[in-house]
Amino acid sequence: MAEERKWGMVVDIDRCTGCQACVIACQTENNILMSSEDIVQQKRAMVWIRIERYWEGEYPNIKARFIPVLCQHCENAPCEPVCPVYATYHNNEGLNVQVYNRCVGTRYCANNCPYHARVFNYWERHTAAPHMQVYPADARAAEPMNEYLNPDVTVRTKGLMEKCTFCLQRIRRVSRQATVEGRAIADGEVQPACVQSCPTGALVFGDLRDARSQVSKLAGDQRAYHLLEDLGTRPAVTYLKKVDPNARATSPSH
Amino acid sequence: MELTRRDFLKISGSSAAGAVLFAGCTPPEHEWKLESPVLLPEDTLTSFENWYASVCRQCEAGCGIITRVVEGRAKKIEGNPLHPLNRGKLCARGEAGLQALYHPDRLRTPLRRTGPRGMGQYQIISWDEALNELVSRLKDQQAQGSAGAVALVTGPLRGLEAHLVTRFARAYGATSLAYAPLEETALQAALKQLFGQDTYPVFDIARANYILSFGANFLEPWISQVHYNRAYGEFRQGQRTQRGYLVQVEPRLSTTAANADEWVPVTPGTEGVLALSIAYVLIDRRLASPTVAQAMTGGAGVQGLGAFRPEEASRITGVPAERIEAIAKALAERRPALVLGGLGPAGHTNGLFNLTAIYALNFLLESVGRPGGVLLNPAPPTPELAARAPASPFLEWQRFAERLRTKQPRPVNILMVHDANPLYGLPPAVQFGEGLKNVPVIISFSSFMDETTAMADLILPDSTYLESWGESIPDPGPGFQAVGFQQPVVKPYFSTRSFTDVLLTVAGELGGQAKEELPWNTYKDALRETAQRLFRLNRGSIRKPDFESFWNTLLQEGGWRDEQATAPRVDLRLPVLARQSQPPQFSGTDKDYPFYLHVFASAGLSDGRGAHLPWLQMTPDPTTTIMWQSWVEMNPRTAAALGLRENDVVVVESPQGRLETMLYLYPAIPPGVVAMPTGQGHTYLGRYAEKRGANPLSILAPMATAEGGALAWGATRVRISKTGRQYPLPKLEGSVPAVQPEDYTIIPVTDLRTR
Amino acid sequence: MVVLLAALAGAQVVAAQLGGAPDQPIGFTHLTHATTLQIDCTFCHRNVTKGSTASVPAVQQCMFCHAVVTGQTPLTQQEIAKVRDAFQNQLPIDWVRVHRVPDHVRFIHEAHYTGLRARNPGISTQNLCATCHGDVASTIKVGQVRQLRMGDCVACHRANNAPTDCTTCHK
Repeated sequence: MAEERKWGMVVDIDRCTGCQACVIACQTENNILMSSEDIVQQKRAMVWIRIERYWEGEYPNIKARFIPVLCQHCENAPCEPVCPVYATYHNNEGLNVQVYNRCVGTRYCANNCPYHARVFNYWERHTAAPHMQVYPADARAAEPMNEYLNPDVTVRTKGLMEKCTFCLQRIRRVSRQATVEGRAIADGEVQPACVQSCPTGALVFGDLRDARSQVSKLAGDQRAYHLLEDLGTRPAVTYLKKVDPNARATSPSH
Repeated sequence: MELTRRDFLKISGSSAAGAVLFAGCTPPEHEWKLESPVLLPEDTLTSFENWYASVCRQCEAGCGIITRVVEGRAKKIEGNPLHPLNRGKLCARGEAGLQALYHPDRLRTPLRRTGPRGMGQYQIISWDEALNELVSRLKDQQAQGSAGAVALVTGPLRGLEAHLVTRFARAYGATSLAYAPLEETALQAALKQLFGQDTYPVFDIARANYILSFGANFLEPWISQVHYNRAYGEFRQGQRTQRGYLVQVEPRLSTTAANADEWVPVTPGTEGVLALSIAYVLIDRRLASPTVAQAMTGGAGVQGLGAFRPEEASRITGVPAERIEAIAKALAERRPALVLGGLGPAGHTNGLFNLTAIYALNFLLESVGRPGGVLLNPAPPTPELAARAPASPFLEWQRFAERLRTKQPRPVNILMVHDANPLYGLPPAVQFGEGLKNVPVIISFSSFMDETTAMADLILPDSTYLESWGESIPDPGPGFQAVGFQQPVVKPYFSTRSFTDVLLTVAGELGGQAKEELPWNTYKDALRETAQRLFRLNRGSIRKPDFESFWNTLLQEGGWRDEQATAPRVDLRLPVLARQSQPPQFSGTDKDYPFYLHVFASAGLSDGRGAHLPWLQMTPDPTTTIMWQSWVEMNPRTAAALGLRENDVVVVESPQGRLETMLYLYPAIPPGVVAMPTGQGHTYLGRYAEKRGANPLSILAPMATAEGGALAWGATRVRISKTGRQYPLPKLEGSVPAVQPEDYTIIPVTDLRTR
Repeated sequence: MVVLLAALAGAQVVAAQLGGAPDQPIGFTHLTHATTLQIDCTFCHRNVTKGSTASVPAVQQCMFCHAVVTGQTPLTQQEIAKVRDAFQNQLPIDWVRVHRVPDHVRFIHEAHYTGLRARNPGISTQNLCATCHGDVASTIKVGQVRQLRMGDCVACHRANNAPTDCTTCHK
């Protein structure tokens, strides 16, 4: 029924400035629980896309590099075979799907994801967390903030694994619209929230099976590489290397 | 019905009642309510989304936005693809605007103080009561002939809003001032001096081949973040034949420096000397046009700049002479080259000297008026849109605080504050808080209980920008005439009214000259009049046979633009380079206070106005990945020498005061400099901001630039001492192991032409 | 034990919804409107052909007719007066929801309406809607007649060669 597409993304590290617009765009689009200070201190921050920062060299010849990391939607995803309840699987559009109502929270998938792209809900949203400074014990006090929740995205509860969906709701909306209008989806018509917001145009999204799409062209660029390529996960996210005219043969450290 | 997932698993696993229990998980009662709306407008049809174009007001840039509205509630803000400034893109602060709209701590109704000032005891009153009180107080002052004892404080304003406020102040006879904590008055003065315009010129980053930036953090909250980020993407990978090269000169490696090809650490306050030394090399090595060089040295040639020979400059700035030569050579070779200066060089007592020296390099490199250099922006299309009420410089604020305190030359009887929070931003040394105690009546138009509003006697809460009318001329403009129109995308969620509407109502009630100057009933009327003028121009992006269809398209597209209407060519007079260095002054000796305090704008919270929004609190600082807190950055070697570790709570002490915050070991800062972000340390501003972190502005010395009187926020020296306590910094780094494998060095493909 | 009892009570609520029909704030009858007056379902549920929810009509829409139609019997007069009052006072009507899918399900009426039309040429709207909602047109009070659980959905999707990928329905 659905056409055989393979959604993919290209991240141009040479354009990325680490500005965090994508991070907040993702938060606003996907009803992600806001990570309060103590959640961050516990290293359990809820983010579907994060910008990693690497230092290179030493003062004064030091550089910082930014790499946005999100679910790589691997063709050969290590998270999929370990799920005991089939809550995560690969669909025919190249998406690594997380089915919330199937998930029972074993966290095996997160353990097996080499990109640490999966985050677990340790908290109930807006309630039952008086220790959290973000949400007061009385959920109603923070009430109006519920008004901006995206109706197209499930509000996940405690005990579920979640991760980047490539903004599935947007893919669905555009493909339904295209079906109604009896046409194909145009290149660039589907834009996940992060791609939509990215001011420098570092993120590009599209159908990798369409050779004429911008994402396909960029994925064939000579700067292209994949994160942890050796693992053979075959990610749908391609990175374009930073261009550094002054690069010396140094190894990055974290 | 409460049944947790774990309980469910426990019970269903051990009893035969599992199936029944599953049925028992019924949804909450309110989900069984199905409300039918009263009226039938198409846009509130259930499950339908509508996108309304408007303008972002989270900072002063004026980006166009579109807002997704479902069933009367705003759900998502995105950039407006038709707006020439941001072309569909937006920053974290813009995205977070929704939280300002649906914030639990918004001021919901007009309030009147009942308890002692500052104790937070207020009584809810109606809008009629509030307006009556405001009007009668203003009338009283008029009757007593002391209208001049009324002061109106706003944020920096442009366009129609500035026009309205200045007209009101003039008609009534009130003092009017604008406040911004990180004022750009020194920069604006320098640009005015060189380019002859009050507005910012276009820095054509997208088409530049080489950018030399002196602390111009254009990839961070600085002037027009999205616009510059967009241009930066093009600068790097969007040009056909070249990849732009960026050199960032500043004491601390900022996010912009992190993205630069070269970071040049420099002694704080000596950026101007470095710029002049580069000029020296350009002229001395005949890398600049001799005619231009002759004019810019006042005919003296390179001898006039003798004080800035690279060897001399190297001693002052800490930048090796060879590096100065190399930068000058690259600048000359890789044209078009663009030279920028920002907060760093501006925030010293010699700020104007630094900035004029920096921006003058553009003339020497003949980059002015050239693509890839500095281009001028045209004047706005109508006179009222050209109105401006820019931030008043720090010295003026110091004088105003003194006036409040001493009641000389005359007291202030009524202080009206809108969209400004001087009590948070002004250094305590100015004693603004003391001054407020002498003001009998303080009236605030804030949407939130900020520090200044907490002192107010009467609060008439403003609607957020998503609920009110407005317009914005982007500054800097895109190089041609453009106006963004802001419309309410949702109805006011609480009982609030937009400040401009209140101002017009008050003017109407006051009558007389105020009414004559401000004849409109609502701000929308005034806007429509401006739209009429645009309509009659009959040019640009929208041309319609009648006004109503023009107006509708204007709101649909979120604004008007005319790409043909660029600035007329002017031959700017070549500036003459300074012959003598102007050393910066500092508060505190280097013996007692061994560190320069480098204050920078927080990526999420900016100058502190975003601190009430949890999304911005949890925006990681790009280079440290810290969220929710403030910190002080120190070179790891320096810290080791002082026996300090990361997460140590330290005392940062200046001659003016002290604060406590956490230490972060920052490998990209010189040993003699410590750095702190702005934005935290609020005593008010809602549950997400209060009592969180520390405000570096609170220990700044009241030092101003020698010319123009802007705040010199880099002119304070500090010392650091241990408290013995530790506090884990909430940061993203270290949450997960590094993803980028060791053997993937970021190795370059340099030749773009082969693609 | 407390949990168990509460759960059983909850189960009864669901049972009530499947079998009987809840009382509504206004005694509106589909029988009169859809069968006697032959008003097409989509006239009131105007969203059903366009959007994800079928939508209940706005009070203003009721007033298209009820501005003049005030009822013939005391009972209908009394119920219609409620609608007119609501409109006069600009108050919404809080109907009791009969059909509900969980939050993690994306159900789009428009797609089902279009799909069923394409597969059953010439079908009347009433019969089309009856596929899932039963014969609403001849009821006085609407109740849920079909399970509308995942098994039910999947069976129908399989039978009609509709997609069964999880992401089709789960969001």
